[in-house]
Amino acid sequence: MRFIGLRLARGLLTLWFAVTVTFFLVRLLPGDPVLAVADPNMTEELRQKLLADFGLDRPLGVQYLDYLGQLLHGNLGMSFRQSVPVTTVLMERLPWTLILTISAMVVTIVLGIPLGVLAATRAKGWVDRVIQLTGVTAQSLFVPSVGVFLMYLLGVWLGWFPIGGAVDLDATGFGATLSMLHHLVLPCLSLVLIQLGGYVLTMRTTLIDALGEDYVSLAKAKGVRPGTVVWKHALRNALLPTTTIAGLQLGTLVGGAVLTETIYAYPGIGRAIYEAVGQLDFPVLQGAFVLLAAAVVVANLITDVAYGILDPRVRT
Amino acid sequence: MRRALALLALAALTACAPSVPGTSTGGSSQPAASTDRLTIGTTADVVNYNPLVGNSRTDSWVTSLMYPHLTQMDETGKRIPYLATEWSYAEDGKSATVKLRDDMTWSDGKPVTADDVVFSVTAVQKEKFGVVAGLITALDKAEAVSPTEVKFALSRPDGTFLDNVGFWLPIVPKHVFEKAPSVQKFANDSDWVSAGPFKLTKVERGQRYIMERVDDFGPGKPAVKEVVFRVFPDVNTEVLALRNGEIDMIGNVLPPATASELKNDPKIKLQQVPSLGWAHLQYNTKHKPLDDVRVRQALAHAVDYEAIRNIALKGFAKSSNSSVLTPSQPDYVDPSSKEYTFDPELSKQLLAQAGVSGLSLNMIYDQADPNIARWAPMVRDAAKKAGITIKLQGLERNTYLDKTQKRDFDIYAGSWAVMDNPPANLGLAFKTGGFINYAQVSDPKLDKLIDQAQRALSPAEAKAPIQEAARIIHDQVYDNVLYVETFNIAHSATWTGFKPMPSELLSILNPLSLAAAKPAG
Repeated sequence: MRFIGLRLARGLLTLWFAVTVTFFLVRLLPGDPVLAVADPNMTEELRQKLLADFGLDRPLGVQYLDYLGQLLHGNLGMSFRQSVPVTTVLMERLPWTLILTISAMVVTIVLGIPLGVLAATRAKGWVDRVIQLTGVTAQSLFVPSVGVFLMYLLGVWLGWFPIGGAVDLDATGFGATLSMLHHLVLPCLSLVLIQLGGYVLTMRTTLIDALGEDYVSLAKAKGVRPGTVVWKHALRNALLPTTTIAGLQLGTLVGGAVLTETIYAYPGIGRAIYEAVGQLDFPVLQGAFVLLAAAVVVANLITDVAYGILDPRVRT
Repeated sequence: MRRALALLALAALTACAPSVPGTSTGGSSQPAASTDRLTIGTTADVVNYNPLVGNSRTDSWVTSLMYPHLTQMDETGKRIPYLATEWSYAEDGKSATVKLRDDMTWSDGKPVTADDVVFSVTAVQKEKFGVVAGLITALDKAEAVSPTEVKFALSRPDGTFLDNVGFWLPIVPKHVFEKAPSVQKFANDSDWVSAGPFKLTKVERGQRYIMERVDDFGPGKPAVKEVVFRVFPDVNTEVLALRNGEIDMIGNVLPPATASELKNDPKIKLQQVPSLGWAHLQYNTKHKPLDDVRVRQALAHAVDYEAIRNIALKGFAKSSNSSVLTPSQPDYVDPSSKEYTFDPELSKQLLAQAGVSGLSLNMIYDQADPNIARWAPMVRDAAKKAGITIKLQGLERNTYLDKTQKRDFDIYAGSWAVMDNPPANLGLAFKTGGFINYAQVSDPKLDKLIDQAQRALSPAEAKAPIQEAARIIHDQVYDNVLYVETFNIAHSATWTGFKPMPSELLSILNPLSLAAAKPAG
């Protein structure tokens, strides 16, 4: 219980830190949010009025405390540009980001573990070398490049997948689900490609370590089938670091989602962030970052707790 | 074991990638257009549905189909009727009258009347927001004389008033907008009550905006049942989608390089519309030695205008003879104006006369503007031939706007999008203290001429003073006009009937054009 309490406190501290950094960071953005909202030809009088409307005429400290207070009440403020609550803006977008990131994560794990096992059990063989090389290469790819490449190859050239968007206008019922999946493939694949390397390589290394452990030799000596040794005995232990990787990679995943959504015109939070930067819409930016930070913190909390259950040694 | 792994991998792949039979269009097929739907690509979401506030392109395109303006333009830029049928000034210029058509109705069945016009203009006047507020300073009071007639009482004669209100002011339904405590803060983000050729029926943010035909649209029933705006990340992706047949038209202007690539594609038609603005260099007259006209002239002679138009703009640009009265303004254009020659030697002489040597200046521009990013280095290289060093500062858009607003630059490189009425626009841009007087010009003679042109009640009367003002701007290099862009708007060759209007704001996406669009053949 104390373990969970500590992790929770640490999570909240992280969140507060993220909120604070975001708050000041967006205000460091060059430019004048009022200019981005109104016509640059406006009068000084109008400029002052807008600044006051946005609460930007008050001292920074006051703005910050006010924002924290609002946040504790679950109020993310009003969008400068859209004149609607930030919560409304984000909630429209959240489901798409969840669909994209969760599907990418699931696919990465489902592919990553077997590939890692394949590499580890054939360590130093050509299969291993190919997997390692591909893993390292994929890890160093830049999401936008992957995205554009896939879109051109599979979308334009081969015409297998649509150019951006999330679902066809005319699709209904089951067709809409299919259309959604059809639109999901390219963004999902882009995210999987940049993430997969990390999983596979970690899986491979930890599994090779685990395969050298005494209990594995013992199991082999007892005559347990090699497949069972790998999948039932060694893999379970090798999964622990992979769980950590999953938690750590969540940040990368979220960051990658921002870029991926932008390239594929996928209507998620990431694209909302991209637009809000251009419009200097501080409340939307802050809200989106708080939401993403909260998601990462919660996911890490779950990882930590899961880890604690899997491995009692870390409960300190 | 190996088979199990392969199966697992296959299962994972299919989970991520089901193929949907029949939905892929392939790279080359192009179905014939039907009147069911016209899909338009855009690069941004609608940010604000309140037409009095929204200022992005997409905002304007969508809301202009929902909220009528008093006038539209014909191909040459001449004002033509839309909600207004007639408009005129009183002889003393102290009032203006607008007559409205009587067959426009809001989507809830109520008629569009003079009260709506009075409400819209008064809201902007009272709350002072949007583009219009700065353009109607002469307005004293608007009143409805009858349901189809509005009278504007003016505090001073202002011959730009009707053009400004007609072009820029969207008319909103009084009975809906008056319920909001502040019209400026009214988000208007659902249950729209509109009056235009199409009404907004469904929004999928980040994806598309679906608009349905209005059968009893006053000027005539639109041919297309449904207009859909689809959101893309950028123009390049829009071009891919147009080629793939996923969309029928690209709302955004094509960059010149893309336009020349698409020119010979038989499946794509390019509509060319002139810009109502111009691209230019402005020299900060408050920064030494730019306060010396000889230095500004030296800079004007150190630009290779032809090269910029032919190379950077791929020929999709016209010369304006270095005049702010561009060919897009046939009522005002001055045929006697001559473009500054590209003459580095003359430039050197002028600098020597001014006693300036080793001139080094910074030049700011928006790095995301594909045209300027192409010609900014050409400006630098040409100036080098005259011994002038220009340091390029390509900036992120918001930084650029901020520096412009603070007049924090030596040379400003940019373009004005819509300068629809010279007497009004030259006032904003060159009169002492004008909002967009980036060059910080302060010339009493110029101020007087512009004022005189603004008081004139017809272009014929305004022509002489405004041409004189333009000559001063030319000779003093208060503005260095580089070119007037010819915009290329791409649509599928399966569509026809569009009514192009000048500027990227109206182009072929204006309400009268989309109402007239129909499948070809």
